[in-house]
Amino acid sequence: MSTTTAATEMRMESQAAGSSVSAQTVICLGPWYADASQDALQSLLEVLQLALGSNAASALIAYPVADPETPSWHHDGLQLQPYQALSKLHTLSVQTAESYLSLFEIMRTHDATCGMLLGAEAHSLSAAAIRGLRDAVVTRNADLAVPRYSLGEHDGLINAALLHPLTRSLFGVRAAFPMALDYALSFRAAERMAMSAQHQTTAGQQDGLLWPTAEAAVSGFTVAEVTCGVRDVPHPSSTDLSEILGTLAASLFTEVETKATFWQRTRPVPPMLSIEGAPIERVPTSPVSPEEISELVESFRIGYGNLHELWSLVLPPQTLLGLKHLSRQPAESFNMPDALWVRVVYDFVLAHRLRTINRGHLLGALTPLYLAWVASHILNSSDGGNPPEALARAFEADKPYLVSRWRWPDRFNP
Amino acid sequence: MVSQVQDALMDSFSRVLTKLAIFLPGVVALLLAVVLLALVGAGLAWAIRAALTRFRFDERVGERNSAGVSDWSPAHSPSLLISRVVFWGCVVLGFAIGVSAYDAAGTSDLAPFILPYLAHSVGALIILIAGTILARYLSRSVLISAVNARLNYARALSLGVKWLVLIFTAAMVLDHLEVGGRIVEIGFGILFGGMVLALALAFGLGSRDIVARSMERTAEKATPIDRATERNDTPRSVRHF
Repeated sequence: MSTTTAATEMRMESQAAGSSVSAQTVICLGPWYADASQDALQSLLEVLQLALGSNAASALIAYPVADPETPSWHHDGLQLQPYQALSKLHTLSVQTAESYLSLFEIMRTHDATCGMLLGAEAHSLSAAAIRGLRDAVVTRNADLAVPRYSLGEHDGLINAALLHPLTRSLFGVRAAFPMALDYALSFRAAERMAMSAQHQTTAGQQDGLLWPTAEAAVSGFTVAEVTCGVRDVPHPSSTDLSEILGTLAASLFTEVETKATFWQRTRPVPPMLSIEGAPIERVPTSPVSPEEISELVESFRIGYGNLHELWSLVLPPQTLLGLKHLSRQPAESFNMPDALWVRVVYDFVLAHRLRTINRGHLLGALTPLYLAWVASHILNSSDGGNPPEALARAFEADKPYLVSRWRWPDRFNP
Repeated sequence: MVSQVQDALMDSFSRVLTKLAIFLPGVVALLLAVVLLALVGAGLAWAIRAALTRFRFDERVGERNSAGVSDWSPAHSPSLLISRVVFWGCVVLGFAIGVSAYDAAGTSDLAPFILPYLAHSVGALIILIAGTILARYLSRSVLISAVNARLNYARALSLGVKWLVLIFTAAMVLDHLEVGGRIVEIGFGILFGGMVLALALAFGLGSRDIVARSMERTAEKATPIDRATERNDTPRSVRHF
């Protein structure tokens, strides 16, 4: 496997060597733009031109191609450099380990100080958002710039329920979207991400997911959050919620396990730069029908009726009691307390680490509980923020429980 | 007459003592072989476990195979599984050697009968363990998938799969042990065929309305990842990712 990686790297280097001009900024487009024609890239190039302005001459836009002989070309002052695609399109349309490897290789070849990864449908980003991400690294000296998209209250719920609060409580990075579609990285941050990506690719996980905010926290890098306004979010190719939740949770839980020595120690929360790129917009959300909420609650009840034995292997009696009360609540007043959801997530993280049951089964058993949280969130969320602040605070407040059980998993836990 | 009784008793006593003299060394050899090989097995198991722990075998297996050996192993430790297999392998080997030694002592012809049966028993035990693990794994997989597909009869489906695999395993074990002969084959054929026929009849005749309603409900209630795009007839407003 490592020989394959080395061969692809050599192929990329030799391909890039032919046009190794220096560039301050490398903008790497992912596999969504593979072999894209000029017409297909047109709208994105227009946005990039606006975003880069006078810096366009010192920027290089790399896009993936299958044919290694494809020549580089120019478009209204923008330099476009093809690179041989390593990564394939992920089912969730997010950046994979291979994307970070490609970015770093191109940055190294062109002595770039700033690298940007743009995800699918990047043309829907505003020029101000792209400029904000770049400037965070180039002028504000951040190592990692993550976007803060404007989402509807009922959008991105996996992020709101799990990804944001868990990464925030454990790694202390308050970025709203730890698994974003677009990033800007300094050279050293790109190098760090490439190292982490290399670990995954050598282990045969080419489409493995990386968590840049966690890496930045562990490395002591400066993180900036840039408001990016509304962005079109690509639809995952899979329609199975359980599969998507399982993929994201498995990756994040593994990251938590890998970096356990970091988050177990109490540290001061590192300051995060807040940069305004595109203005924050309030996305209108259509009300959720009672039928939809009933379906979500019913999904949880079916889960409670059938998976109770499985959950009892993972969750302590107090949490099970909470779920029992929850299963008896009518759909109209269904309310899952934040503290209960926090305990559920922390206990699943622990069970993932201890391999209490098969990991595939464990993550599959999380889906009905997540749907219960979704139903409760829709019915009871009042602050209107996405991700919700109160839940993130509840995760932070209960972190000692996770640390304690992580260290002494066999201790009595009522 | 007294002398005849005395002779008979002496003869009998002598025969019993002779048999005991022949029998005891065999038994001692059998026990010795088992105990010695058990001790060797314990030593080997300890050494293997220490070596595997030193090379962080459990962590490596865990990293590469998240849904495999670790879940089958005692205390979720593949190195413990390997050391126990080595230990019990040595015990079985000791028993086989002991049986041969028992035969060599000249008492009986046990070895040609017991040794193949012992090998079959080990095979049957492996089938039984594998079948039980597979049954548990499949039943849980079916249960979770069915729950996430919002099937109300998820538990029944899961139990059905579990018992199907267990019955299949039991039939294979009995066949491997050559117990029951054709009765097992015929019994299994009838049972398995009966279950398939019952399911077919349930779907085809008796439960067709229930199945149709259930499938209709399932199709309606499946939770798509992006409800807004998938259900055009009734607009949805929840988006998970």
